[in-house]
Amino acid sequence: MSVSMALFSPPTHPPSFSPSIPLKPHLTLKPHLSLGPLKTSVFLLSAARASADNGAGTSASAATALEPDADLKISKPPKAVFQKDESTAGANGSLGATEAGEVEVVSKFEDTRWIGGTWDLKKFEKDGKPDWDAVIDAEARRRKWLQNNPESSSNDDPIIFDTSIIPWWAWMKRFHLPEAELLNGRAAMIGFFMTYLVDSLTGVGLVDQMNNFFCKTLLFISVVGVLLIRKNEDLENLKKLLEETTFYDKQWQATWQDETPGSSRN
Amino acid sequence: MATVTHPLHTTTFKLPLPLRTEISHPHTLSIKASLSTNAPLPGRKLRAAVIGAGPAGSSAAEALASGGVETFLFERSPPTAAKPCGGAIPLCMLHEFDIPSHLIDRQVTQMRIISPSNLAVDFGKTLRANEFIAMLRREVLDSFLRSRAESRGANLVSGLVTDIEVPNTSSTAPYVVHYTANNSRHALSVDVVVGADGANSRVAKSIKAGNYACAIAFQERIKLPDEKMAYYENMAEMYVGNDVSPDFYAWVFPKCDHVAVGTGTVRAKQDIKAYQRGIRERVKPKIAGGKVIKVEAHPIPEHPRPIRVRGRVALVGDAAGYVTKCSGEGIYFAAKSGRMCGEGIVKASEGGDRMIEEKDLKREYLKAWDAKYISTFRFMDLLQRVFYGSNAAREALVELCGDEYVQRMTFDSYLYKRLAEGDRWEDVKMVCNTIGSLTRCNIVGS
Repeated sequence: MSVSMALFSPPTHPPSFSPSIPLKPHLTLKPHLSLGPLKTSVFLLSAARASADNGAGTSASAATALEPDADLKISKPPKAVFQKDESTAGANGSLGATEAGEVEVVSKFEDTRWIGGTWDLKKFEKDGKPDWDAVIDAEARRRKWLQNNPESSSNDDPIIFDTSIIPWWAWMKRFHLPEAELLNGRAAMIGFFMTYLVDSLTGVGLVDQMNNFFCKTLLFISVVGVLLIRKNEDLENLKKLLEETTFYDKQWQATWQDETPGSSRN
Repeated sequence: MATVTHPLHTTTFKLPLPLRTEISHPHTLSIKASLSTNAPLPGRKLRAAVIGAGPAGSSAAEALASGGVETFLFERSPPTAAKPCGGAIPLCMLHEFDIPSHLIDRQVTQMRIISPSNLAVDFGKTLRANEFIAMLRREVLDSFLRSRAESRGANLVSGLVTDIEVPNTSSTAPYVVHYTANNSRHALSVDVVVGADGANSRVAKSIKAGNYACAIAFQERIKLPDEKMAYYENMAEMYVGNDVSPDFYAWVFPKCDHVAVGTGTVRAKQDIKAYQRGIRERVKPKIAGGKVIKVEAHPIPEHPRPIRVRGRVALVGDAAGYVTKCSGEGIYFAAKSGRMCGEGIVKASEGGDRMIEEKDLKREYLKAWDAKYISTFRFMDLLQRVFYGSNAAREALVELCGDEYVQRMTFDSYLYKRLAEGDRWEDVKMVCNTIGSLTRCNIVGS
């Protein structure tokens, strides 16, 4: 089952995310996540209401737009039985017995558009072209559902869908561009005010500031700051990341560190 | 003018040997190069004790005995004791350690990695006809290595080592190994100790080497009905996901006539049974009808101990903590470190004729080892941190593994333990794909 990445062409420049920090998308997907304590997730067959966006005639489609409140959409609890919680939780500590008595119901993710282990793109069509935003949302929901109800992997029913089917510009348009707008806006505001401040304090105009090394350094620091520090927590995260990156190396070098000069202990 | 004298026999000198310069009197500079500044042993050979006769200990003992050092190899378990272990070894180990092919139970040519959303990717398209991952039974491999060490001249002692007395003052006082054999206590004085006694190393405790964080690996051996076993004929599976392990992977590895289904974790050891249930659930259709024949667990070190060499005691293998992150591979590194340590001792002692010191061990063994493998270990640590952190990252990992270039690089690095020759342009593409996959999966994984 090889997954072809043929449809995916890498973006011309990587989006403005730092690759080693797991990305927390602080965008429109967020309200989607804060669901009730039961952890019931939103999906499956009967919809609370059909979305206007989805032109497809299927009446059973779940709402695809994310803007509406997530709370209203909790249509029904998932069909599954929570296996891990309800199985004979170590009732007899011995795992010597086979699986027979443990779980009765095997849950599977079901959706009318999920066919044969992948999303049927024809079901997502809007104006004759697939609505990629809807595909992304559907897949996000499926994965969230699977977090709570892990499925057994089976050879008869393989999963084929992989995110590279979705074209790169769909991702850009929806996730990169708004963020880029935000960051550029911040940078512009900082730039404008700093220029004004420096000009009023020193009388050096914009063009002369750009020729000055110190000012260029400040500019660099502000750009890096805007890119890396987007939320209050980011400062702490960056420090921890630096620590983590060097930790393993420190463990390796520990054996060399302990040498007290001049003594060879037996 | 300078004169160079070689007081000892004429062998070629290699770089790391210590050189001494002395100014004998103001007008001439004479440089004496001696093979070693260590004291020659009067009328006897250097005596070494290797504690633990697994891959690390046996390789060390073999190197020591072949080099002329009087070696005692201690082992507490009978040769048939089965160790809980994946049992997979790379091709380079078969070549470097001359492992005969009749010991191999299975040649795995297909590896399947399955993401949290059950996206499955097959690794193995890029393998050449003679490439495979060898699966062996540990007891078979260990006994073979042990008897080979014995045939090279190591003295095998079946006994449990209870304590190592470390001399604290003089630099030539021997180490005393206390052990119990045949229900009686014995003691043996040796010059050098090689600790190859695994994750709960007693030698490490005696030299106060410090502790390390351990992962726990838990597995069940399950005998499958024949038609289900046929699926695993030469296929091994790796499962990732929060339901099977929060910071490692779960596996189904085929063994001689059954499969081993297991998982591991570092930070959630008390929940290991829940994770085991998780992996059983995930594999359910493929192991339905199987019978559990054995349950076993073992700690796996996560990083090297703070001290790996102290005095004339060196730690090798699991005792030292040479297990890669991300894949948890330890057999090859154990055997290789044992061999490098043994060879280092032989070289520093010139075939057992001279006493050695801590700095010899550090130079010949530790430095050489670190120089050779630290980047491998660092890279695996990076992979683990990036890709095992969350379900989204794991999905990205599986997606990336679908790429042929990634597969080829991975297998080359694993099978031959060398940085494979890569195409620069493909590397750049791979990095872009990595970033792309991670970004997309993080978005979709919300």
